[in-house]
Amino acid sequence: MLISPYLNKEECKMKYYFSRIWAGILITLLSFSFTSSSYAIDIKLWDLSARQGQDEFYELLKKEVKKYNPDINVIVTEWENEAYKTQIQLALNGDDGPDVFFNWFGEDSARLARAGLALDLTPYADMEGGYGSFISKGWQDAGAVDGKIYGIANKAVSKYFYYDPAFFDQHNLSVPTTFGELIDTCKSIKAIDPSIVPWPMGNSERWKLNHVITMLNQRVVGAENTKADYALTAPDDELFTNPKYVEAWEKVVELNENCFNDAPNATNPELTRSMFAAQISPMMYCGTWCGGIFASEGFTDFKMFRFPRVEGGADDGTVGFLVAEGLQVSAKTKHPEAAALVASINVSDTMALADAELRGSLISNATLIDQMEDAPHWFTFYVNDIADKSGHVNVLDVLLEANVSNAYLDMGTEVLNGTKSPQEAMDFIRKVALEAKAAM
Amino acid sequence: MNKTQTNSIGFSLSSDRVSVIILLIPALIFCTIFIFIPAFWAIVGSFYSYGMTSLNDWKWVGFDNYIKASQDEFFWIALKNNFIIVFASIVLQVGVGTILAAILDRGIKYGKVIFRTIIFTPMVISSVAVSIIWLIIYDPNVGILNSILKAIGLPTPSMGWLGDPDISIWMIMIVAGWQNTGFMMVLILAGLQGVSKEVYDAAEIDGATGVKAFWYITLPMIRNIIIVAILITTIGAFKVFEFVYVLTQGGPSNATQVLGTYIYLQAFNLLHMGYANALSVVLLIIALILGWFQLKASRRA
Repeated sequence: MLISPYLNKEECKMKYYFSRIWAGILITLLSFSFTSSSYAIDIKLWDLSARQGQDEFYELLKKEVKKYNPDINVIVTEWENEAYKTQIQLALNGDDGPDVFFNWFGEDSARLARAGLALDLTPYADMEGGYGSFISKGWQDAGAVDGKIYGIANKAVSKYFYYDPAFFDQHNLSVPTTFGELIDTCKSIKAIDPSIVPWPMGNSERWKLNHVITMLNQRVVGAENTKADYALTAPDDELFTNPKYVEAWEKVVELNENCFNDAPNATNPELTRSMFAAQISPMMYCGTWCGGIFASEGFTDFKMFRFPRVEGGADDGTVGFLVAEGLQVSAKTKHPEAAALVASINVSDTMALADAELRGSLISNATLIDQMEDAPHWFTFYVNDIADKSGHVNVLDVLLEANVSNAYLDMGTEVLNGTKSPQEAMDFIRKVALEAKAAM
Repeated sequence: MNKTQTNSIGFSLSSDRVSVIILLIPALIFCTIFIFIPAFWAIVGSFYSYGMTSLNDWKWVGFDNYIKASQDEFFWIALKNNFIIVFASIVLQVGVGTILAAILDRGIKYGKVIFRTIIFTPMVISSVAVSIIWLIIYDPNVGILNSILKAIGLPTPSMGWLGDPDISIWMIMIVAGWQNTGFMMVLILAGLQGVSKEVYDAAEIDGATGVKAFWYITLPMIRNIIIVAILITTIGAFKVFEFVYVLTQGGPSNATQVLGTYIYLQAFNLLHMGYANALSVVLLIIALILGWFQLKASRRA
């Protein structure tokens, strides 16, 4: 220790200790800033807001990710459905968008892949913690475009008829297995009490009827006959000309006359869910997300059945409605490997089980499904029924080209209002499809 | 007193002019960033075809987007609806606002502040919140409007207030009127309070009282205020978006589509950004013309 000739011993001692303390502080600050700025990787994840279990689910995901890489911080932002559809497109084009984001698999996810906004995740399948070891080839293909994986499916949604078995038993009604029986059931319910709405339809946001026409097209026209039309690859003189499409719309008219409430285009879909949950209406067609909603509103003694087959239709009634959903990674992410890891861990065995338990999701990785505690009866039904189906059909507003999809949505409103006949509706859809095909 | 400065290249500026330029700079910067540059890109973009997910793939199409607009029936429906909203807003908001202002100014003696506050209150609520409240009121199943009509034995529309393409636009107008009439009332009331009492006294001597005085004295005296009110309403009617988006999303079957919602549909749902830009340019031109009229009228007022 050097002693200055101008300072006494005590002063020199003090100066020495102060310099040590300052050095210590500086080293601590430097090391802290070094670790926080050089090694921490923030991964922004955008998802839709969920009614239940989302917070716990993402807390667990953050912990699971840290097991693979402790430097990754997952920052979750939740969005409402309609706002998200616009916001995600804007964000992906900007410089401050999410690294990982939710999407519906179909045209929505494929469009981002084709535009170069979604990252090709194929190389990350087999890395440590990669999705390749968690989900089957079939589920991987749900996010594939031209043979490359652009999204990791973590769940799917399907739709069923929910009914009130107590009401059905009380009035000796049986579960309809054909479209004709469905109409008869509606007539029987109205005969019991004309004020009861057999099947509440809330089409104010247009998508509700779109799910019905999706299934009617499947049941009446069939997957083989719709394939080229939906993909806009059919020759111009054949595009959407199959008369069975008109027949499918005629079934909508029949449903509107016998089953639906008045003013379906002015009725909110959430209200119709409440009508069933409050046992005001004895049946409704609703998604796999609805079981938990009915339960949260106090009604758990419901049962489900599939969308019935249509007599003389092209489908035997075993094909079901299924839309895969999952996470994609932005092509602009600064941390592609970390982002791919987060999207992969989202479908790990632990996270998939948590997804089913906390959010009630129909998960893509069912490895630990047997360990699920207290699975509600509707969840068991979904899982068994989906496994039992011969095939799946994607919903038209996700599957079709945007203009054709919009035409189908608009025509749903027109047909329900009676302002366009089924034939006029199909003429319009065909016209839009021809224009969309020409623009491709 | 103006001081004149001469700079090194012989360019002279008065100190007032320098101050004006300096004071304008912040506003000019903001206008440039948030108005001029986006407007410029909207005009440029209207001559191209591109989508939200293909922003780097612009294809030159010249005037095709404008030609497409001229042939697009939904564009004309949207434009027609904007004009309907203009007309109905003037009648509902300015017309009713003027009557209410006249009543508050000279028609009642007590409770002026209370009535003025009540009528003005909807103006301070967010338009989205107002729309959601009315969405519930109009609901065909649980809405109070149908309940009241049914209770007194009157029929209700079978397609619903917002589901019937023939009446839905008028239902939106009622909501917009409910929210904005109070603002018009306050604006016109300010004008009315500027009319000298002596004028009314003189008119009374000539036999003009009540409605006659309102028609021959009040209205001509506040003519410029009413013109400003009409222009504000007109511009607001062309900008309308949230009422339509929340209540009907432009439906049923595009019956309530306005330019704002149609541009949104084209840009963000159908991903036709170039076409949406062309429609925005049309809206911009209409807004500029109306803005010019408003500026002129404001100066006269």
